[in-house]
Amino acid sequence: MKRNLDIVGKKKIFFAISSLIVVFTVVFALIFGVKMDIQFTGGSIITYSFDGELDESAFAKELSAALDAQLKTQLSENTVTKKDNIIATLGAKKNVKADKVEAALQTLQEKFPDNNIQQESINSVSASMGSEFFIKCIAAVAVGAILMILYIAFRFRKIGGWSAGVMSVVALMHDVFVIFAVFVLCRIPLNDSFIAVVLTILGYSINATIVIYDRIRENSRIHRSMSVAERVNLSINQTMTRTVNTTITTVTAMVIVCIIALIYGVDSIFTFAFPMIIGMISGLYSSVCISGPLWVTWQEHKAKKKAAEKLAPKAKKK
Amino acid sequence: MKKRGKATFFVVAALIAFLAYTALFGITSQYGDVKTPILKGVDTIRWGIDIRGGVDVTFTPPEGTKATKDELAAAESIIQQRLIAQNITDNEVYTDYQNQRIIVRFPWKDDETDFNPEAAIKELGETAELTFREGDNRDSSGNPTGVTAENIILTGSDVKSAKAGQNPNNQEIVVQLELNDSGKEKFAAATKKLAGVGQISIWLDNTRISAPAVNEEIPNGVATISGNFTAETAKDLADKINAGALPFALTADNYNSINPTLGMGAKDAMLLACGIAFVAVCIFMIAVYRLPGVVACIALVGQVAGAFAAVSGYFGPFPSFTLTLPGIAGIILAVGMGVDTNIVTSERIKEEIRAGKSVGAAVTSGFKNSFSAIFDSNITMVIVAVILMGAFGPPSSLFAKLLNPIFQFFPSAITGAIYSFGYTLLVGVVMNFIMGVTASRLMVRSLSKFRCFDKKWLFGGKKDEA
Repeated sequence: MKRNLDIVGKKKIFFAISSLIVVFTVVFALIFGVKMDIQFTGGSIITYSFDGELDESAFAKELSAALDAQLKTQLSENTVTKKDNIIATLGAKKNVKADKVEAALQTLQEKFPDNNIQQESINSVSASMGSEFFIKCIAAVAVGAILMILYIAFRFRKIGGWSAGVMSVVALMHDVFVIFAVFVLCRIPLNDSFIAVVLTILGYSINATIVIYDRIRENSRIHRSMSVAERVNLSINQTMTRTVNTTITTVTAMVIVCIIALIYGVDSIFTFAFPMIIGMISGLYSSVCISGPLWVTWQEHKAKKKAAEKLAPKAKKK
Repeated sequence: MKKRGKATFFVVAALIAFLAYTALFGITSQYGDVKTPILKGVDTIRWGIDIRGGVDVTFTPPEGTKATKDELAAAESIIQQRLIAQNITDNEVYTDYQNQRIIVRFPWKDDETDFNPEAAIKELGETAELTFREGDNRDSSGNPTGVTAENIILTGSDVKSAKAGQNPNNQEIVVQLELNDSGKEKFAAATKKLAGVGQISIWLDNTRISAPAVNEEIPNGVATISGNFTAETAKDLADKINAGALPFALTADNYNSINPTLGMGAKDAMLLACGIAFVAVCIFMIAVYRLPGVVACIALVGQVAGAFAAVSGYFGPFPSFTLTLPGIAGIILAVGMGVDTNIVTSERIKEEIRAGKSVGAAVTSGFKNSFSAIFDSNITMVIVAVILMGAFGPPSSLFAKLLNPIFQFFPSAITGAIYSFGYTLLVGVVMNFIMGVTASRLMVRSLSKFRCFDKKWLFGGKKDEA
């Protein structure tokens, strides 16, 4: 017989750990601030490539003058094209018009004739469209969460669907927080890949939670005499191998993506894949250690309330 | 009973192999030197501009200007015409009437070496120059010459509106043209001169869009252009004339251009990662789940092939789809879901065998008992995918219309990247039901009927069990 882990019995420890993560993230975000990508705030990012040695501060000064805007520059190397890049970020809420960018490139090519300066990419977002995009993203996540609760409430109505739905979404919010924490701690600006990661992990984590709830549903039929806590614990243990193996395969796949992205220097993939890995691990943790035990707490609380009502029906009425 | 269904495995595996091969390489029929694709392979996939490089730009009317629906339609038609004039045929143009936006995406052309995105964007957004000219004299490159170049009768500001309509007398479809006061007299004079003997050609920028013959003098500034129009071509001409009469130029605050070399490297990296990850997952599955693991790998091949097929337009009625980097991530995620489906089932079979059931019975109940969990988790994925497609897709897409009651309160934000993610995820879930659930079940059940495979350890039982 396999050893059964007493997950539900240790729920207080898990709740404490998760609460700590949430509190720590909030405090960290409040102190150090949250970086937002220009996709949400508006602004422009222009990437130029160059050959040889480039005087970064002189370059920044020329570009700033040509575009008539405050900007920050940063050097980087593209491992695919083997070229040195200089990335200019224009201050928040200020994006530039196309014709100015065109003129700026000409100026730069004239001022730095030896460096073969080429414009590799530009991303320019107006402030109003950025904030609209942000609102829409929040709306998409919210609508997604509500629809999931509705669906789970319907499918798991035999085991108290609403509580199952709400608890699974609480576990999901935990995962969102962990992903948020990764972006904040690693100083990755929030952008559309943050939204994509969040939505993926939402689906992924709810997947694991549903497999466990599905077992609880099944065990409610088979083991009627068991207590809620025992039943949930049994279900978690029965599905543990699946949960762990699925996480191993998907995380392995994502780690490979991550490593390749690092080798090839594809930043956009890395900032997508890395939070995804953490999110997947968090999804494993929250499905096993949070959503099940949390549901037990709710059910026990409900049972206690019922018992209390039976014992002292008058006291309740006041 | 035992004898039946043995062939099923080979049939299903062969079908998957066929799908995988054709989806990767496509099938072309060759007649002489002309190759016609019958089934489209991976090489026909349209990569998003984040991969192959290109321009993504959102045009809006200038601040403070409220454009009408007709004006936006006119603006869209002029953008489309200019894209074609610049020989950019592979483009996507979406118009969001509610939020007054025109979104244009076009990739770099393959032979493009020195392309200036800013110039292209500027040109697309400019007010179109509409002219009515005397005669229809054109030089070899299509530009006006002679009297047509010299004698401009009307310009855009003289035109009030154009719309498609019907001639009440003979039900013929026509374009109805109405002029401003400034144009009436000039037009009356010109039509008087040309009535019965000449043409007036209509130009947008340097493209001739129509050259009707003048039948009679038109004194009141209301004219109709007739001549074999369909409802569509009439609307097209009316849109173009209106585009020239637009009172504003479009501004492009939002744009994004990517050099192709950046993206193609990312694509190669992504595909390499896909390949390695696939092999790693297969090794894990076979090592842990043995026979069902092997079947899972075959099903996964089918799933990946199906995902690419859905993107390349392999399945006739479904058009090809632009594949972006997040789109590839969506495929990876869906494959992860496929792995999960197989793991849930294989775990279940293992459990049943360890509970003492025979291989056949364990396979049957394993698939039966695991289905509800797989079904529920996949449906929640569908919810995510549909929301992404509805919230971030073009306003005319099916899901956007479906979710319009919810998202109409939010401004449109059309990011092709996230839309592509939703699409590949949705396709992945559908493929998961086809491959991970149905094909896997058929194959495992069929294999379990062979005596040589009817051994418990092959399905996860202990080694010493028969």
